Amino acid sequence: MTAAGIVGATAQVLLVGAGSPLLVGLMRQVRARMEGRAGPGVWQPWRDLRKLLRKEAIAPDGTGPVFRLAPLVLAGTALVAAAVVPIVTTASPLDGSADLFAVTALLALGTVALALAGLDTATAFGGMGASREVVVLALVEPTILMSVFALSARVGSTDLGAIVTSTLHRPELVVSPVSLLAAVALAVVVIAETGRLPVDNPSTHLELTMIHEAMVLEYAGPDLALVEWASAMRLTVLLGLFANLFAPWGIAGASLVMLPVAVVVFALKVALLGGTLAAGEVFMAKLRMFRVPELLAGSFVMAVLAVAASYFLV
Amino acid sequence: MTGSSAPFVVALAAGLLGAVAGIALPRRVRPLGAGVCTAVSGAAGVVAGVAAFAGHPWSAWLPDVVPLAGTRLAVDGLGGLFIAVTGAVGVCAGVYGIAYCRPHGDHALDGRAVQAVTPLFLASMLLVPAAASVTTFLLAWELMAVASLLLVLAEHRHRTSVREAGLWYAVMTQLGMVVLLGGLVGFAAAAHGESFARLREAGRGLSPGVRAAVFLAVFVGCASKAGIVPLHVWLPRAHPEAPAHVSALMSAAMVNLGVYGIVRVGFDLLGGGPAWWWLLVLAAGAGSALYGILQAAVATDLKRLLAYSTCENMGLVLIGVGAAGLLDRAGARPLAALAMTAALLHLVNHSGFKTLLFLAAGSVVRAAGTGDLDALGGLRTRMPVTTVLFGLGALGASALPLGNGFVSEWLLLQGLVKALGSGGTAVAVTMPLAVAVVALTAGLAVATFVKAFGVGFLARARSEKAERATESPRAMLLGMSLAAACCVVLALGPVSVLPGIARAVRVVVPGPDAVTGPVTLRLHGVASTLSPLWIAVALILVLAVLRVTVMRRARRRARLWDCGMGPTSARMEYTATSFAEPLQRVFDNVLAPETDVDVTPLAESAYLVESVTYRARLGDRIEHRIYRPVIAAAAWFGRVARGLGNGSVHRYLGYGFCAFTGVLIVLAVTR
Amino acid sequence: MTETVYVQLLDLTCGALVLAAVLVLWRRDLRAIVRLFAAQGVALAALVAVLGVHAHDAGLVALAAGAGVLRGLLLPLLLRRAMRAGGAGRETEPLVNVAASLVVAALLALLSYAVTRPVVALEPSPATHAAPVAVTVVLIGFFVLVTRRRALSQVVGFLLVDNGITALAFLTTSGVPLAVELGVSLDVLLAVLVLRVLTTRMRAAFGGTDLDDLRELRD
Repeated sequence: MTAAGIVGATAQVLLVGAGSPLLVGLMRQVRARMEGRAGPGVWQPWRDLRKLLRKEAIAPDGTGPVFRLAPLVLAGTALVAAAVVPIVTTASPLDGSADLFAVTALLALGTVALALAGLDTATAFGGMGASREVVVLALVEPTILMSVFALSARVGSTDLGAIVTSTLHRPELVVSPVSLLAAVALAVVVIAETGRLPVDNPSTHLELTMIHEAMVLEYAGPDLALVEWASAMRLTVLLGLFANLFAPWGIAGASLVMLPVAVVVFALKVALLGGTLAAGEVFMAKLRMFRVPELLAGSFVMAVLAVAASYFLV
Repeated sequence: MTGSSAPFVVALAAGLLGAVAGIALPRRVRPLGAGVCTAVSGAAGVVAGVAAFAGHPWSAWLPDVVPLAGTRLAVDGLGGLFIAVTGAVGVCAGVYGIAYCRPHGDHALDGRAVQAVTPLFLASMLLVPAAASVTTFLLAWELMAVASLLLVLAEHRHRTSVREAGLWYAVMTQLGMVVLLGGLVGFAAAAHGESFARLREAGRGLSPGVRAAVFLAVFVGCASKAGIVPLHVWLPRAHPEAPAHVSALMSAAMVNLGVYGIVRVGFDLLGGGPAWWWLLVLAAGAGSALYGILQAAVATDLKRLLAYSTCENMGLVLIGVGAAGLLDRAGARPLAALAMTAALLHLVNHSGFKTLLFLAAGSVVRAAGTGDLDALGGLRTRMPVTTVLFGLGALGASALPLGNGFVSEWLLLQGLVKALGSGGTAVAVTMPLAVAVVALTAGLAVATFVKAFGVGFLARARSEKAERATESPRAMLLGMSLAAACCVVLALGPVSVLPGIARAVRVVVPGPDAVTGPVTLRLHGVASTLSPLWIAVALILVLAVLRVTVMRRARRRARLWDCGMGPTSARMEYTATSFAEPLQRVFDNVLAPETDVDVTPLAESAYLVESVTYRARLGDRIEHRIYRPVIAAAAWFGRVARGLGNGSVHRYLGYGFCAFTGVLIVLAVTR
Repeated sequence: MTETVYVQLLDLTCGALVLAAVLVLWRRDLRAIVRLFAAQGVALAALVAVLGVHAHDAGLVALAAGAGVLRGLLLPLLLRRAMRAGGAGRETEPLVNVAASLVVAALLALLSYAVTRPVVALEPSPATHAAPVAVTVVLIGFFVLVTRRRALSQVVGFLLVDNGITALAFLTTSGVPLAVELGVSLDVLLAVLVLRVLTTRMRAAFGGTDLDDLRELRD
């Protein structure tokens, strides 16, 4: 456990906590500009959060402790994931306690908490959202683990720090078929896990098409603020993880000096990825719920091919 | 007998005493007496098991207990592990049974048969892993089967479905027994001796054909006990009908012994085998895991759901066992040890959370009078402790962090992922598929237990029965809490059982311990680490910080918004069926649900609808496709055979006469 | 061309080859399927060209150009014209649903890796290492033939099989005699022409190109 590691992990949590609403703001702004609107500016999510946090906390009739606990668990798992994942440093003190499997399971725990909260409201929409969310979760799982499998095969470890470091040392691996196929597969996974188009529409107002939004319909005030903040953090963590698995340059090792540079580079990488995602969404429509398995099956094929290539193409 | 066998003797004696108590005590104190004896027997079993895998193996030879063959007992690390697990389940079930068996409404289990047989069942299960000869093993096995059958039939007077379930169970378990008997007796004949020590010596030297036949027979016999698809059909029938503490004993302890048989014979006695054995085990495990969890995901009966989840988890264990066999064969000892450790740890974890879940489900059924998820809901206010305990078990079963299933599935995945580079094409093609199966299973398990917990315990009651539910008595809560405590210990400090599992693994795959480290798990020869404790600490810290910073203000009660529609009624809620509908649709090809929609138009016009009826039925497809034709054929044979007997005594005597003279003629011709 | 660049290019073209095959399974739009087939033709040509440049074989490069023209331009053009004549632009519900076919494709990939192990072991080189990719394409093409209903998707399936066989030939033997390759190409061209005529006839006879309608001919 080094000093740089502890400082780095703290920096990661702060960066994700403070920066994720900005990322969401940036993505909305990109969409707005491309659709010909002026857009509210990148700070709008922060303003929304501030507004929501000042409001009164509500306990809707017929909801129980699970409903109140879920936003905390969602945000808590996202924060722990932010501390574990190599975002600006590969020397996080928690790096040894969780690998890629554990991180995905941790994020799944947050999703499960929210799904239970959706069911707890006893409304039709809450149940619908929960039901759809767990279907997506269940079908995403094989792709995630297969991509992890492919990426870890050449390193011999599923530790995130080890995978990122090995890519740093051997940059030519990035354009290998294994990496490319796994990247495509993981990209679909990130989109599905964060509820972006074409799996889910984050800005929909039509309840029947909702997945994520349907579960959080009953939240208001600070609860809603926490849920929105947590969703933004999950998006940032997953995009950051994606960026660092396939383009880790700029990440700090065990040195304090590199940290500020790493923070800036990370912000740029995630902003670029988020901007691309938002730009892509402008041209896309949401898939029907029952076409989503096809998309996920497709990403699963990519992941299997990546695993096969990692073993057979060497 | 040596001194260290004393706890085991105590366990068996307590079991017998319990049986006597169950018969002799008056009805009022009968559950108490039998329950305490069961718990004591279980506790002594735990001590005996722990002593065995802490390095005090023992053996005994009792020539007079069974005529001709005698009884041979030996407890090593592997047997000790299974004895300890069975004992722990027995403690929880025994304590729970004290209150559960008392009369409650129209439900009473304090009859002599149930009370006397429960401790015997536990004792017989403790005896199976201690057996060290074919006769002893088969006797204990059969005793266990008969005892469990009697217990499944406990409530046959209340429901006719119990009889059907009992019949299925009896047929499956006895067929399994026949196959197992054939395999082991054949093995003993080929090895010229029936003690396990003799079999171990001779096992490697037998001809490949004999070895394969023995392995296949043992595999089939044990797989039917472990509930492996397609031999699982008895499981989802027997569990919903059996009393809850019996379900827990069967699903958390008895099925384990199926795995024990496969590991004991396949690894220990036969000394490993060709790759196809283990590929078969792995494939059966994978199929069982996937099919089990799919059926669990769409099941609406709580206990049926848990039963299918048992198929799933035993499948996962067999994936680990199969992988261990393959890797051992390929010479990758450390990885084989890792896979075996993962399999056994998962088995222990499964016993923990499945005991808890079945006991909690029993409380729900007792309190609400139904286990149908579509009629439950809202139990969190009326049964708070049971809700929290079931939640803990569900967390373990869905393999999420903070739950105990997570650690073992993580180990299993590590074993499978690392196996890719060692062991040729068969391994290289199998492992990615196995990982995909484990992953999909984990995902579906999450969906299943979100459904079980969210629909069953949260939200609002969907029926009056569920509204009238009340919290269970203290002894039941204590039984469940014991199981829950085990789950928490296993989840946060798997290191508490890993040394014991390492000893068990060493019996079958010699070598250094696969998993070490007090807090952070380090794998031997694999550069991956995990520390469940640190994850939990970090998560709880963060939760506490968020709680005091963001959520500090008091809440105001308000009406549910529900998009401005309200007020909502329980009929508008999502049910278990509707929750699982998307999954059912995605896996339509596998599950093949039968749905019919009848639209009745109004008399005046064909375009105006008067009513729509929708009926959906989801059966077990394997049962339909494989078992129904077999049963139909058997029934046909029975009908035809009935034609032989028309009631005429002369005819019957004639059959006897013909057979007798026929035999004489054959003798005359062949001699 | 250095050895690493060669291997990278080889792997990339092979990746494109199998990716196009998987995407054919994924898409329902017949026009997109034809476009994917054209892309696969180009990838195949690129693969042959990479092999040719690496081996300093001008004949191979010329063959690559020929294959590119035939499979990347000419055949797709013919297919597109057949489609215009054939009407309906979408694959009707295939016999095995799309998600399941994609999973099957994954299994086929693993299978082909398993069966080509001995071949690769005979002479390990970057080119033979990529041979399973070609086998995968063959198997996926076969699977398309089995499960898709439209005559046009059947033709594409057949052509996928052919692309796979060609790729396999080039990867494992480093070059087929020009005459053989020409003969095969002509055969394929002829087959497509015949199938085109058949499609037009079917449409005239049944008003659609669903192959299940052909059952009527038996009665």
